[in-house]
Amino acid sequence: MFIRIDGKQVEVKKWDTVLSAARRAGIQIPSLCYHPALETAGACRVCIVEVFEKGWSERKQVTACEYKVQPDLEVYTRSESVLKTRRTTIDLLMARAPQNAALQALSKNVEYPQTIYPPVADAGDCVLCLLCTRACEQMGCNAISVSGRGDTRKIEPPYGANPDACIGCGACARICPTGCIALTETPATITIWGKVFERLHCVTCGAPMMSIAYRDYAVANRELPEDYYTQCQECKRKEVTARFAGLSMKVHHG
Amino acid sequence: MDKTLVVIPSKCTGCGTCKLACAMIKGKGEAIARSRIHIYTTSPDEHVQLTCLQCVEAACVKVCTTGALVRNELTGAIAVNDDRCIGCALCETACPFGHMHFDTQRGKPEKCDLCLGNPACAQFCPHGALVYR
Repeated sequence: MFIRIDGKQVEVKKWDTVLSAARRAGIQIPSLCYHPALETAGACRVCIVEVFEKGWSERKQVTACEYKVQPDLEVYTRSESVLKTRRTTIDLLMARAPQNAALQALSKNVEYPQTIYPPVADAGDCVLCLLCTRACEQMGCNAISVSGRGDTRKIEPPYGANPDACIGCGACARICPTGCIALTETPATITIWGKVFERLHCVTCGAPMMSIAYRDYAVANRELPEDYYTQCQECKRKEVTARFAGLSMKVHHG
Repeated sequence: MDKTLVVIPSKCTGCGTCKLACAMIKGKGEAIARSRIHIYTTSPDEHVQLTCLQCVEAACVKVCTTGALVRNELTGAIAVNDDRCIGCALCETACPFGHMHFDTQRGKPEKCDLCLGNPACAQFCPHGALVYR
């Protein structure tokens, strides 16, 4: 099956979306909330493109990450109306996180240096892209989700309280494109979403590792038993060294 | 997959050229601490080089839920697909040999991928203690 993206013929698979097909063909469509390993959300609207199918009277604007390819689909990624919509979208996102580098980089894409909208108070740099909630879901925890509607919409644990389901893995904080989720690590604790986690320590050298809750969760939900999570990287390597060293001496002395 | 990275500790002098080569190629020359090969000195004339063993049943692959750790069919090495990684960091602790390096700055793990079939460490080892054959 073939589609045309900006006039270029591109071969696609039937499960492709416009975005995945374009990425494979090396055509850049800017995006923010798209992640190949997570469920598609269509939350940021940055990957907006125009599409045209046979029999239609005019082109339609759709999000490239969600739109499934059809035979002979025509896609326009840089038409005037696409650039205008994309610019407005990025402008609105920037009003929520004006100083953010990831958004500044995106805004360069549409040649528009600063947002014309007043900054949104209390947005705290969150652009509601839902990468954090989807990452949490992927981990199997579902500790955070969207609450509120309209201008009170935000990401938080249920009832805004300490999330029971959170294990302190930190995936949400690391995947956040604007870095707005506070993850505080001290030698003894990990703090995220207002919940303080006690850390596991290496049984040999005492170096701080993951949270105890994360270890317990991993033991219960992944294939590996508890003894995989007892030592830090350095101590594991030293243990292997001891075995290898013995081996090399045997080679030396025959 | 017809070649393996062979580590020969008895020939290693602990010079650290392999670490330097790895840091230059993989760590973009940033810091030797980002090298994916390590040398441990157990006695004045005994040094052991350690790097990822590319386990057949790899712990890192087992704990990854997003399929971000995939074995390259050509080299047999397990490589990180940054695009699919969500940064849960479980692979780092799960590795029983200590060869997953989680880059907290980028939020992604780093590991030896045998330089896609031309390992720099073996190429630069002056003593034949690392051989790709």
